[in-house]
Amino acid sequence: MKTAIETAALTKRYGAANAVDSLDMEVPEGSIYGFLGPNGAGKTTTMKLILGLVKPDKGTVEVGGVAVTAKNRLSVLRQTGSLIESPSYYGHLTGRENLQIISMLKDVPQSEIDEVLHTVRMENQQHKKVSHYSLGMKQRLGLACALLGRPKVLLLDEPTNGLDPAGIQEMRELIRSLPGKYEMTVLVSSHLLSEIEQMATYTGIINRGRMIFQGELEELRMHSQKHLLLRTQDNDSAERLLKERQVPCRNQAGALVLPELSDERTAGLIALLVREGVGILRLEEQQKNLEDIFLSLTGRQVSL
Amino acid sequence: MLFKCIRAELMKLRRSFVWFACVVIPLIPAGIGTANYLFYRDTLQGQWYALWTQHTLFYSCFFFSPLIAVYCAYLWRVENYGHNRNVLMTTPVPLSCIFFGKLAVAAAVTLLTQLWVFALFTVCGKYAGLPGLPPAEILFWCLRGGLGGIVIAAALLLLCQCIRSFALPIGMSLVLTMAGFLFSNKGWSLYFPFSLLTAGMNANHYDDQLAGEMLRFLGCCGVWFLLFCAAALWLLRTRDVKA
Ligand SMILES: Nc1ncnc2c1ncn2[C@@H]1O[C@H](COP(=O)(O)OP(=O)(O)OP(=O)(O)O)[C@@H](O)[C@H]1O
Ligand SMILES: [Mg+2]
Repeated sequence: MKTAIETAALTKRYGAANAVDSLDMEVPEGSIYGFLGPNGAGKTTTMKLILGLVKPDKGTVEVGGVAVTAKNRLSVLRQTGSLIESPSYYGHLTGRENLQIISMLKDVPQSEIDEVLHTVRMENQQHKKVSHYSLGMKQRLGLACALLGRPKVLLLDEPTNGLDPAGIQEMRELIRSLPGKYEMTVLVSSHLLSEIEQMATYTGIINRGRMIFQGELEELRMHSQKHLLLRTQDNDSAERLLKERQVPCRNQAGALVLPELSDERTAGLIALLVREGVGILRLEEQQKNLEDIFLSLTGRQVSL
Repeated sequence: MLFKCIRAELMKLRRSFVWFACVVIPLIPAGIGTANYLFYRDTLQGQWYALWTQHTLFYSCFFFSPLIAVYCAYLWRVENYGHNRNVLMTTPVPLSCIFFGKLAVAAAVTLLTQLWVFALFTVCGKYAGLPGLPPAEILFWCLRGGLGGIVIAAALLLLCQCIRSFALPIGMSLVLTMAGFLFSNKGWSLYFPFSLLTAGMNANHYDDQLAGEMLRFLGCCGVWFLLFCAAALWLLRTRDVKA
């Protein structure tokens, strides 16, 4: 597996605390890497470290095999496009003028402007002043700027922040289409697991500056265990009866949580409860969803 | 690449009030200076030179360096909107081009301002009934003041790069110009960058105060200029980008 971005023991200290703490990140080439973490986890700082906007206290970063140092600054920036802490735009200029400025600085032919405008579907608004744009349009303009020059690696920091559901959907589809269309690697951050789940092929979870999980989403799902949820007319008696039969169970929010059991065992226990006069209301199999895994990994409430 | 940066900076100045300030603000000291001249014309001697003392008295004191500060503050202000600094600093452009692109534009607008000031001076002189055209020496002083202005532009650009406020650098430029007078009065005008401007313009004087010191003036301008540019580039290179 070739990596597009690789960090080793990357550390950035602000005051007494490490905003990024010995971070080892590997972004496979051609992937959409979902960079997930609650507020203040260090996502933006990591992305800034990758781009050289912020200097690390320890550790190294490589983008496309090139070490991110002051000396290599230009060759790293030439192969990356980014939208960090959006929105960023010159409000007194039109969308097109904004793109012209960036294309000049990126040394990209003006013809590419029409192409990126088409990609983000903004041809019709290009001559309006950006300060009159809606947030969704500003965000798409930011993406268009990042796409200019067809970078090999794209870094997007919470690109759907503040968008309405339709805007989120649109942005997500746009991002998903990029690796196929431009052969890009995309690193996209979010504090919403559902979002990462819908667009990423690979994921890293960061909490308090540390990487607590990195791998394919499928791998993350395997962390989840199945269990059974039982509701009866008399949960207390049911709990007593089950415990007498050595079935570990606990009463949680009006339902009994049981471990996964074989079919025969389940049938036998249900028959027993019915015999003892405990009416069965519901029996369902439950799988911990990713949100629960995320919560148990970070030990923190995530904003939804 | 520097050329492209300059073009990008000029685009950012589109529809900005910088042009308005550049045209309108010099009208004020020109008006006050001319009124003063007309009021005291019996006691003032030296015709064009006398008018020059009156024009520059106010212009170099209160208007020139804050005007340059407006240009510099605006050039960085557009980067302070939202998170534009992130975008600027991730374009594949050498940091020196980012700085000198801005400086070139600030310097050009500063020189433009000086030419406009000279044009106003000529018009006011004709209005006051002065004979002929202003002496070439005064045009030379005006442009020499512009050179001092470029050094100030480098200093203020450095300041605006560090201070995110728009008004603070402008206020500071005013205070520093005042401090410049203290140095000028002691005859140390070449050793304080903010008095290079008044010294260059030969403000409020009849005879060239820098006569015979031209080389020293140029040398001091050069040294201060290099110092400010080096400091700005060093900060751009080593500091984290805060957007
Ligand atoms: N310039 C700075 N000075 C001091 N502390 C900082 C600075 N930038 C970030 N931090 C701190 O570093 C930590 C990580 O911040 P960062 O912005 O990287 O988080 P994040 O994961 O992007 O969060 P969010 O989801 O809120 O954007 C935070 O605790 C923050 O307070
Ligand atoms: Mg962030």
